[in-house]
Amino acid sequence: MLLPLLLCYCAFTALCLAMPRHHEELLGHKSSTRRRQGLKLVGWLLLGLSLWAAVSMKGWSFGLVDWCAVLMLSALTLVLLLPYRPRLALTMAGLSLLASPVAAWALN
Amino acid sequence: MKAKLATLPLSYRLAVTSRVLAAVFGGYLVAALASVTLTLWLPLNRAEAVVTGMTVSFLVYLVAVLWCFACRTAWSAWVGLLVPSVILATVSGAARGLGLA
Amino acid sequence: MKEGFRQAMAWLHTWTGLVFGWLLFAIFLTGTLAYFKDEISHWMQPEITAHPLNAEKSLTLAQHYLQQNAPDASRWIIGLPDARDPGLSVGWQQTPAKPGERGAFTRKTLDAQTGVEVQARESMGGEFFYRFHFQLQMPYPWGRWLSTIAAMVMFVALITGIITHKKIFKDFFTFRPRKGQRSWLDGHNAVAVLVLPFHLMITYSSLVIFMSMVMPASILASYGNNVRAFYDEVFPESSIPERANQPATLAPLAPLLLAASEQWSGGHVGRISVNNPGDANASVVMSRAGSDRVVNDSGSAVTFSGVSGQVIGTTPDQPMAMAVAGSFYGLHMGHFAGPVLRWLYFICGLAGTAMIGTGLVIWLGKRQLKHIKSGVMPFELRLVQVLNIASMAGLVAAVAVFFWANRLLPVNLAGRADWEVNAFFIAWGLSVVHAMLRPGRKAWVEQLSLGAALFIAVPLLNGLTSPYHLGVTVPEGDWALAGFDLTCLGSGLFLAWAARKMQRAGHTVSVQKPARETARPITLEHGTN
Repeated sequence: MLLPLLLCYCAFTALCLAMPRHHEELLGHKSSTRRRQGLKLVGWLLLGLSLWAAVSMKGWSFGLVDWCAVLMLSALTLVLLLPYRPRLALTMAGLSLLASPVAAWALN
Repeated sequence: MKAKLATLPLSYRLAVTSRVLAAVFGGYLVAALASVTLTLWLPLNRAEAVVTGMTVSFLVYLVAVLWCFACRTAWSAWVGLLVPSVILATVSGAARGLGLA
Repeated sequence: MKEGFRQAMAWLHTWTGLVFGWLLFAIFLTGTLAYFKDEISHWMQPEITAHPLNAEKSLTLAQHYLQQNAPDASRWIIGLPDARDPGLSVGWQQTPAKPGERGAFTRKTLDAQTGVEVQARESMGGEFFYRFHFQLQMPYPWGRWLSTIAAMVMFVALITGIITHKKIFKDFFTFRPRKGQRSWLDGHNAVAVLVLPFHLMITYSSLVIFMSMVMPASILASYGNNVRAFYDEVFPESSIPERANQPATLAPLAPLLLAASEQWSGGHVGRISVNNPGDANASVVMSRAGSDRVVNDSGSAVTFSGVSGQVIGTTPDQPMAMAVAGSFYGLHMGHFAGPVLRWLYFICGLAGTAMIGTGLVIWLGKRQLKHIKSGVMPFELRLVQVLNIASMAGLVAAVAVFFWANRLLPVNLAGRADWEVNAFFIAWGLSVVHAMLRPGRKAWVEQLSLGAALFIAVPLLNGLTSPYHLGVTVPEGDWALAGFDLTCLGSGLFLAWAARKMQRAGHTVSVQKPARETARPITLEHGTN
């Protein structure tokens, strides 16, 4: 469940930053349209990747369940962290992104 | 501002009650009829058709309940349930008549 | 209702949420606890020791015990221990005096390693929460009807909530604490929207679980009077050979475990029942463990001849419709969940409970604001306030009392299982009285503080009243027991934090009315801006 979780969390952070209001809150400056589109694309791609990771590890039945669980957990974590520890939230996203290929390799 | 209940007209309260009754009982009737219609018309064996009909019925119940509160008047809540009920009853009756059941 | 679709849906969401919110809070909280019912049972009956699992050995011990103690029974039932439930359970049914009647049924728990009967203190354990959440302590079948009706109302509340939430995508990541009423609404939206897949699944699946009871029209339309035939088709059982009335030795059961597992490409056996043991036509039914797959197929079993050990029947694969219904059932129960996923189920359940709780607080808070100038709370709002406090803080404290009763009631007390349950309801009832007698904010603080104190003290209580405390369970690695103590501690700390926040935030507005009327002061339960 670790790899899908890491990827989901990154995905949600990207999708969050893609929203102008949150981008300003978290990074301090406005985002350009291109950046917003890029973040959205990355976010959705990472979500798809996390689904693929979950299903390929455990099959469709258990994989889908794991993915939904991980989806909800990462969303909750991000939303609860954002108002209290925004920098931690972003750092965790960065670390998750870096850790993902390692996790993928380790689990194979 | 005084307590809400004291200022609500009787006609409003009757209308709400009517809608609630329509949603609870009328909605159940429509859902049950939809369940039966599905069961009798689905090209599956008996047990599978029954299970499918029952599983889907709650979605129908939901729509019926939402209708009862979204429609313009309390009367239209009842009418809006009566019409599908008659149609569904007819259709499932037809299945019986055609020997599909 | 003429104001428009969204407003009508908002009205429906508000009122369904209120009227059924208190019941749904109790259902969600006890249901969430039920995900750890085996662990709770283990803490409440610590005498049943957990051992490393060995299915063959356990089954052999069970067979030996039953052969000694119930050789003439018409049926044996054996429940193997698993990772979460350490007990080896055996049961037998006496041959009925008259044919067609049911014989008396006896159940015992054995130690999985020695086969000796375990004298565990009588307790319902976690089963109490599991059963309460769908039976509501009401006689059959009324509790199930009420809980299923509540599920349908929950479904309506969820969908109307989604329809009403205009900025569901825009506000997806929005949570603004420390802003009074706004924060409560943000919180309500967060635990609702972010955990929506779980809420929708759990609600719809609870309807599917009891659909044969609440929506039987299809069964009657298709099967008429022969409802039995419907159930036989949904749960096909391999036919059990009739009793031959010729004695024959029962074959050893342990090797049959492997044979059953092979039929299921490596699946596990959960339950074994032996029909007519000691007879020439004895048959052994090995049922598949529910934890094997997501899709629930409770009928899945392999039947063996009890004398020769040959396979005499298997259950067919589930057709698609039954598999879909079975998926709903399986997802709801979560039997297949390993430790991590089980904690996620628990967290999602808590989120659902919080969704309902925040909704109830918001409902009252919004209306209290309207009366802040007059300083007096009308009766209806006071009623809502009392029910809010008792059904939330009171219920949580009652759960703690249930655990305290388990450790404090004498082990040999007759009917102690019932008394543990009574303690729960007495505590809950007292919380209603307390909420009626005390002003709103004070009642909240006092009940939350009581809950906090009781929960925080659970590990200490455990240490003082039993040898199964953290000092022993942590080094031993009995994480079910240790986890229970630690989770209680954590919950208590959360309740203490909540009690403190309640006490600090907000303000009291109390106005003395002239002589005859008594003032019901309005104390906002949450802070203002």
